[in-house]
Amino acid sequence: MSEPTNTAPNAEFEASLQDDALVQVRRLSISYQRNGKEFRAVDNVSFDLAAGETLGLVGESGSGKTTIGRAILRLLPVADTSMWGSVIYDGIDVAALSKPALRGIRRRLQMIFQDPVSSFNPRRKVPDIVGEGLEIQGIGKAERTELINAALDDVGMSRSLVEGRRPHQFSGGQCQRIAIARALAVGPELIVCDEPVASLDVSVQAHIINLLQDIRETRNLALIFISHDLAVVRNVSDKVAVLYMGKLVEIGPNDALNQHPAHPYTRILLDAVPVAQARQKIVPSADAAQIPSRMMPPSGCRFRSRCPKAQQHCVDVEPELRATPHGQFVACHFPNNQ
Amino acid sequence: MTTPTSIELVLDCNSLSAQFRTASGPIQVLHDISLTLKPCTALGIVGESGAGKSMLIKTIMGLGPAGMQVSGHISLAGTDLSSMNERRRRQFLGAKVGMVFQNPMTSLNPFVRIGRQIEEASRYYLKLGKADAKALAVDLLGSVGIPDATDCYDHFPHQFSGGMKQRIMIATALACQPELLIADEATTALDVTVQKGILDLLQILQSKRRMSMILVTHNLGIVAGRTDEILVLYGGHVVEHGPTDVVFANPRHRYTEALLGAMPRIDQPAHTTLRTIPGRPPDPANPAPGCPFAPRCPAAEGRCHSSMPPMTVSGDGAHRFACYVPVSTHPSDFRPMAPAVATGAEQ
Amino acid sequence: MTAAAPDAAIRARPKTARLRLPRGQFFEWFACLFLIVLLISTMLVDFIPGLVRPNFPYGDFSQPPEWSLNGLLGTDALGRSILSRVLHGGRTSLAIVAVATALSLSLGMILGMLAGFYRGALERVVDLYTNTMSALPPVLVLLALISVAGNSVPTMMLALGILDIGTYARIAKGGVIAQNDRDYVMAARAMGASDRRLLMREILPNLIPTLTAIVPPLMAGLMITEGSLSFLGYGIPSPAPSWGGMIASSTDLLDRFPILILGPILAIVLTVYCLNTVGDSLAKRINDRGREIAG
Repeated sequence: MSEPTNTAPNAEFEASLQDDALVQVRRLSISYQRNGKEFRAVDNVSFDLAAGETLGLVGESGSGKTTIGRAILRLLPVADTSMWGSVIYDGIDVAALSKPALRGIRRRLQMIFQDPVSSFNPRRKVPDIVGEGLEIQGIGKAERTELINAALDDVGMSRSLVEGRRPHQFSGGQCQRIAIARALAVGPELIVCDEPVASLDVSVQAHIINLLQDIRETRNLALIFISHDLAVVRNVSDKVAVLYMGKLVEIGPNDALNQHPAHPYTRILLDAVPVAQARQKIVPSADAAQIPSRMMPPSGCRFRSRCPKAQQHCVDVEPELRATPHGQFVACHFPNNQ
Repeated sequence: MTTPTSIELVLDCNSLSAQFRTASGPIQVLHDISLTLKPCTALGIVGESGAGKSMLIKTIMGLGPAGMQVSGHISLAGTDLSSMNERRRRQFLGAKVGMVFQNPMTSLNPFVRIGRQIEEASRYYLKLGKADAKALAVDLLGSVGIPDATDCYDHFPHQFSGGMKQRIMIATALACQPELLIADEATTALDVTVQKGILDLLQILQSKRRMSMILVTHNLGIVAGRTDEILVLYGGHVVEHGPTDVVFANPRHRYTEALLGAMPRIDQPAHTTLRTIPGRPPDPANPAPGCPFAPRCPAAEGRCHSSMPPMTVSGDGAHRFACYVPVSTHPSDFRPMAPAVATGAEQ
Repeated sequence: MTAAAPDAAIRARPKTARLRLPRGQFFEWFACLFLIVLLISTMLVDFIPGLVRPNFPYGDFSQPPEWSLNGLLGTDALGRSILSRVLHGGRTSLAIVAVATALSLSLGMILGMLAGFYRGALERVVDLYTNTMSALPPVLVLLALISVAGNSVPTMMLALGILDIGTYARIAKGGVIAQNDRDYVMAARAMGASDRRLLMREILPNLIPTLTAIVPPLMAGLMITEGSLSFLGYGIPSPAPSWGGMIASSTDLLDRFPILILGPILAIVLTVYCLNTVGDSLAKRINDRGREIAG
């Protein structure tokens, strides 16, 4: 597959990135081969994450957010996938590690999935599931039991509750707690949360969000929180990155994006979020958004086909990430408030 | 307070209850649900999973699982549904009600062209001829925002994205000019911008075609600003019902208040600790005596655990809720609905 | 933050025992029972008191069945007890088929799992083998092998063992590919699981039910193949009894003593039927359990 040609050098943005951040993603591009066609899932994405910081990765389907999360943990399928750029964790190039070395750092990077039930082996009992990472690391039974119990305790479930039971005997919220316990048991520094609350009810979601905040504080965890739900991302993140069709369109502090969204897509996303409060009757818009095909992204700025401000320049030239007065970076030729 | 007569209402449910027989005894999934829906009104039915909202819709439509015992009275557009046999009910509802389901991937038949799927209902219920049905289908595709409707008429479902498929589903639901459109979690599987498009479309169609609409969802935000009334379900009971704005601004039932507090909001500061609801949703096989929310309610009193609170009604009769210890502290605001209950209008 | 016990009614699943006798279905009961009886009587045939040896002409020729141990299925043209011959022949056939199945299952599973996990060239080779083997008629393959290696019992075991490797491999491969993308495999990888651990601890346990369900029908197929071979005269050499061989010799006398064919025919038909029924019932149980677990 072809090496991506970087049409947008993003010099200004890249200069702002830190060399000593815990997670450094630099010019990450990932392509899949599907039915003989190449599909660029992630295109030239860079960002930093410091220890103890939470990054919210926001985007709709096809934005590449899940792919980025998997790439950081090196969990992408090997067949038919190509990756360019680098993922550096604590100074180590994750993509270049040999398999044994990769296993060594696995316990520092963990993942929580959207559907916790499918991330459990249905035939295993819950305590074994929670202790799986420890078992793989070769930790002895006695110490393992202690760590399993401690992790279960941290998520508010008692050992006696889960003893001898299998995942299908628990509710969605409880399963997500078990998944979090499993991730915590190995003592990670970074947890990638891939839509962890999307399939949960509102009241359960609140528990899990609060739980994640708690453990994040007590253990100084770095979190990458992938979600399409902006209200949740608003609640949990320090920094937010907005992705559209594999490209990073806006990135910056949570408050900056929330109060002064610079990219038209960020604006549209914020407007589209349903808010549960008394309000005027919504004025519906009759245009159906024409979402371009993922296989053939528009030239220049990918968002131009849906952008109210698009002009000829947007067709010809792909925008670079540039700084805004409020502290974020935006890839747009005509950003808001500029 | 004047009660509209059944003839004027699009939907009238009275004391609707439903239960299953299981090996371990009967399980009641709907308790004494009453609701009315006027013409050209949008109603939001909200609740978390297990609250009974899908079950309620299925019961009304007669689509409930076999072996379900239903009691109570349902009438649609003045016609009593409870006394109809299944076949007549299906005939009647097919033309009067359009339904849009949650998963557009599985609701459309992947082997049949979409034009034909849209026509099916109109040809069967309205007895339209081939040419008329096709014209109607193309027209409907246009009105739901499918570009190049004439071409797309011949396409198969897999050629469309999720949002487009949902629009096609809506076209299918509209084929018979229904009086009532029910959207059961219709946008749950969609991206947020696509969701807005679909909800906007439903709103436009509702007012243009002068239909009534029911939006069933677990996401309270969806019904804000799009519905006239909302009905909150918990454990198979109606816990609160009223004009949408009023319920959001002034939730009375403790569950509604708790639910609203548990939702993260985009206008809240980052890292706000959400107010959670302790405990777990009720188990239909072991219902708690009294108010279903009492085990989890921070304000519950003794009687909340022992007897089911009656429906209390606010001053103008539009806002009702079933709570002994409601949120508001303005006593003159409401009076009890059923004077037979001794609790009266205190607090 | 309290986490109460799981919802009792909604979530309580009865503990499904590993081996649970089928309930309520007459045919399943019968099939299980028949196979158990068959297994015991063939394996312990030498200890049945009063049963003559299979090649011993103890009585009159071509006698119809009667109510005695040796004469239960009658006597053949040489006066030998058909029952004794059926039981001895059954022992040989069952042993051959059992060993052959064990061979194909283990080899097929290994090949299929590796092909499904690593894909690429290995998958293509395994596919080639599987497709070729399925294209060839089993009896012809066996004839070819036997003409080269002879028709002793060990040879038959090996030869039959080769036939079904492809089928087991294909099913194992499919099962592995289906699981490769599952979240729990990815989760285990995220924990640092090695390939070996993934295959053995995560993927294999989920393959076992499906594989177990197809073993009985494939065994039934092998019984028929082995029987066909003996029928043609190319199986275990006479005078050792074999069901196929017995059918072949009874067909000569079909016009005069049709009853003689009863014994071996019943044996084969019932065995194959019961194996298939047990296989169906296992497959159904697995489907139900899978649905149960999936919720």
